[in-house]
Amino acid sequence: MHEDLTPVEKAGRRNTRRDISLTLFALYVIGLYFVRRYNPDYPVIYTDINEHFKYGSIGSESANGIPYEIWRVLPEMFPEKLPGPGGYASLGFVYEPDHETPIGLARRKVYIDRLGMNCAICHTGTVRTSPSAPRQIVLGMPANTFDLQAYFRFLADCASDGRFTVDNVLRQIQTHRHLDPLDRLIYRIAIYETREILLQRKQLVSFMDTRPDWGPGRVDTFDPYKTIQFNFPMANDHSVGTTDLPSIWNQTPRIGMHLHWDGNNDLLAERDKSAALGAGVTPPTIDLASIQRIENWLLDTLQPPPYPYPIDRNLAAKGAVLFRHYCAQCHAFGGERVGQVTDIDEIGTDRHRLDSYTYEFAANMNLLYAGYPWRFTHFRKTNGYANMPLDGVWLRAPYLHNGSVPTLRDLLEPQENRPKVFYRGYDVYDPVRVGFLSDVASEGRRHYFKYDTAQTGNGNGGHRYGTQLSDGEKNAIVEYLKTL
Amino acid sequence: MEHDIIFEPLSFRNLVVKNRIFRSNISGRFDNYDGSGTYARINWEEKFARGGVGAILSSFVPVSIHGRIMPNYATIHSDDRVPFWRELGRRIHEYDCKFILQLSHSGHQQDIGGVENLFRMPLSSTNRTESLNGFLGRSMSREEIRQTVHDFVQGARRAREAGLDGIELHGANGYLITQFLSSAVNDRQDEYGGPVENRARFVLEIVREIRRVVGSDFHLQVKMNGIDLGNKVFPWEPQGNTIEDSIKIARLLEQAGVDALHISAGNSFPHPFNPPGTFPMDWAAKTYDIMVTSGIYVFQRYLLLRYRPLRPIFAFFWSRNPSPIIEGINVEAAHEIKRHVAIPVLCTGGFQTASFIRRILAEGFCDAVSIARSLVANNDLVHMFRAGKNLPDKPCTYCNKCLVNAIKNPLGCYEVSRFDGDYERMIGEVMSVFAPSPFSSSQQPS
Repeated sequence: MHEDLTPVEKAGRRNTRRDISLTLFALYVIGLYFVRRYNPDYPVIYTDINEHFKYGSIGSESANGIPYEIWRVLPEMFPEKLPGPGGYASLGFVYEPDHETPIGLARRKVYIDRLGMNCAICHTGTVRTSPSAPRQIVLGMPANTFDLQAYFRFLADCASDGRFTVDNVLRQIQTHRHLDPLDRLIYRIAIYETREILLQRKQLVSFMDTRPDWGPGRVDTFDPYKTIQFNFPMANDHSVGTTDLPSIWNQTPRIGMHLHWDGNNDLLAERDKSAALGAGVTPPTIDLASIQRIENWLLDTLQPPPYPYPIDRNLAAKGAVLFRHYCAQCHAFGGERVGQVTDIDEIGTDRHRLDSYTYEFAANMNLLYAGYPWRFTHFRKTNGYANMPLDGVWLRAPYLHNGSVPTLRDLLEPQENRPKVFYRGYDVYDPVRVGFLSDVASEGRRHYFKYDTAQTGNGNGGHRYGTQLSDGEKNAIVEYLKTL
Repeated sequence: MEHDIIFEPLSFRNLVVKNRIFRSNISGRFDNYDGSGTYARINWEEKFARGGVGAILSSFVPVSIHGRIMPNYATIHSDDRVPFWRELGRRIHEYDCKFILQLSHSGHQQDIGGVENLFRMPLSSTNRTESLNGFLGRSMSREEIRQTVHDFVQGARRAREAGLDGIELHGANGYLITQFLSSAVNDRQDEYGGPVENRARFVLEIVREIRRVVGSDFHLQVKMNGIDLGNKVFPWEPQGNTIEDSIKIARLLEQAGVDALHISAGNSFPHPFNPPGTFPMDWAAKTYDIMVTSGIYVFQRYLLLRYRPLRPIFAFFWSRNPSPIIEGINVEAAHEIKRHVAIPVLCTGGFQTASFIRRILAEGFCDAVSIARSLVANNDLVHMFRAGKNLPDKPCTYCNKCLVNAIKNPLGCYEVSRFDGDYERMIGEVMSVFAPSPFSSSQQPS
């Protein structure tokens, strides 16, 4: 009968083990509940690659996302800060029916649902054949209607407004959904932090207010980088790097080409991760798997849609001959200079974008993702602009790197004949001059962006190739370009 | 008072008791650790004999060490204990008082098992853990039942050899026999569980075997519950035996040859209804700690008593259905049983008022009453009654401080208000049980 433990002690130990197990299980269940409810990192998953591109997360929500509930109520609280009625759509966001959020904003739960930008925000556009025709959404196309700068300014202006208080925003959120006490506490913190982040971001990019507005379909990719990523002092930096948003079709033949308008990098992967940084990811939060999924799709699948209007095949055939003679060397896949940088002195286009990208900046770019195997190594300073293939060029209007020439037909004119002032952001197509109608200042209550080529960085000179040809020849080339 | 029914003798089949006041079963830790008796116990019991009770029902007397409730309680588990009980009986008889020994087995309701039982699992009718203190127990095998019946029979034999006046089987208040009788506890699937006849099989075997071995001419009574009230503390616990169950049990016992029944209540001890009254949490906080290693719930319960902010939790469970009456709490149940049996029925439960006792005796609710706490408070209560007092000047307050002290300290009345707030005087009275001390020759019991 000599034992170490009495029956009560044995039972006590059994009970202790049971209690610990039950406690651990309870903690596990409670933990699961809270992880499900306040998951620190849970993107919305889309099996369809098109949906993933439009709405899937690339990892921008954690650091630079905005809580969905806050995002939703801002247009209700501050409608006067938007350029027109219709909420975020007035900024040129592309909405699909039955979607609460526009294309280009992804949802990821970072404790609470947050919205962050993805690739589609800059690379999805719309086109209409007439003002009354339905909008065709084209994936991979430059976001021709979306004013990114106006979106940022709207958020920053809201945060600056004295009415953007925790109580006010919380009250507005609760007109949409019930928040239990725990949710209310979390949203109180989230509202406060969101305001702080927006104000901080506003301050960081305040120097942009001294430059010409971007307007829809354009972005100054690298200047905001200078402060946001590198805290460069901007007092003496007056560069203007605003460019047109590019298309992203046909990536496989672009492998090895010098990418970005100035050809500062010849690795697709670095170009993509750099763009992701611009959309708001950070080195720790970037969703590489998500981005890889998009890269694979871009490499394998995504093509521009065919030109939807009739094409004069005979004229196009003539144009093809002229194109091969005058353009193909720089602009056809397989051309010996395609993907190469043409010196600024030769190309002669507006040099502000080129100059905004400095040696110092390139060196700092190559520090990004330090500590990761995918750290940037290929950024460089060039002295010109890269020659781009012209696939889907009909949808890539306006033209030149800064979007300073509204149509292809205009581009074949000498500078003095190119429009000096035109409107951007309208998506009704002009099949005559091949580009979007650029003389429409407004439609309904929607006003379009007046592009003035006289402003810094907006110059429409240079690229004089073909300007000396006859009108017939120019028309033929344009007809041919429709087929690309 | 010429015809005071309290002082009418009560005749059992094999025993006559001079009056109707029995000292009910109560005791402190007066004996040697191993259960061998001491003068203190003799002194203790003598107090009541001197006080005029007709008979003393002994405290819980274990028939085996395995069946004790705590050390320092005199046992009758071996023949060498007979001389002690003989001497005790002799001393009691000097007062024309009878002494009926309560043969007992704790089952799983073992407050402090003692080192002898430290590594032994208590026996019971069930494997289930007792709910109040978390006492563990093991369902007895048939061989263990047979052995335990034998232990009871040998205890009865020794009691008779010691010249005592009778025996009582403790079948109430949650101890082993209750654990078989109570439907709230007994979950056996064999012939000892199920219907009331099966649950009574264990006690009936003890009765029959005692009769066979010890004879039919030795007083044998059974203490049993009128009602179990198993759900009085924890509402989720089953209620247990009803009065109908108990009537059946009483009739079976009568048929088996039992001479009398002693009616109590509650299928655990203590129980909100037994002993009835208040629960002295201040004192319990000072004594209950001694049981911390005895049951798996004791520590939790102790914390409820130890820390005042938690006491409402304890009080909620203990006092959520207080009994509207204290004195005579079991009279109705005793009466119901008495209506169905022909043998005398004793009743316990808070008796202290002579007029009340006379009335229930006169109206046939029971044949005698047994009293514990009121006699602890006033050892000479019976003499007071005879002298015409209806209620003592300093009656028992039913504070139950004696109850919660019994597990740790010498038994006595711990209600200092009865000693005019004089704690020393109160303790002096409590310690009087040890006088005369064993080696003061002039004071040695003769």
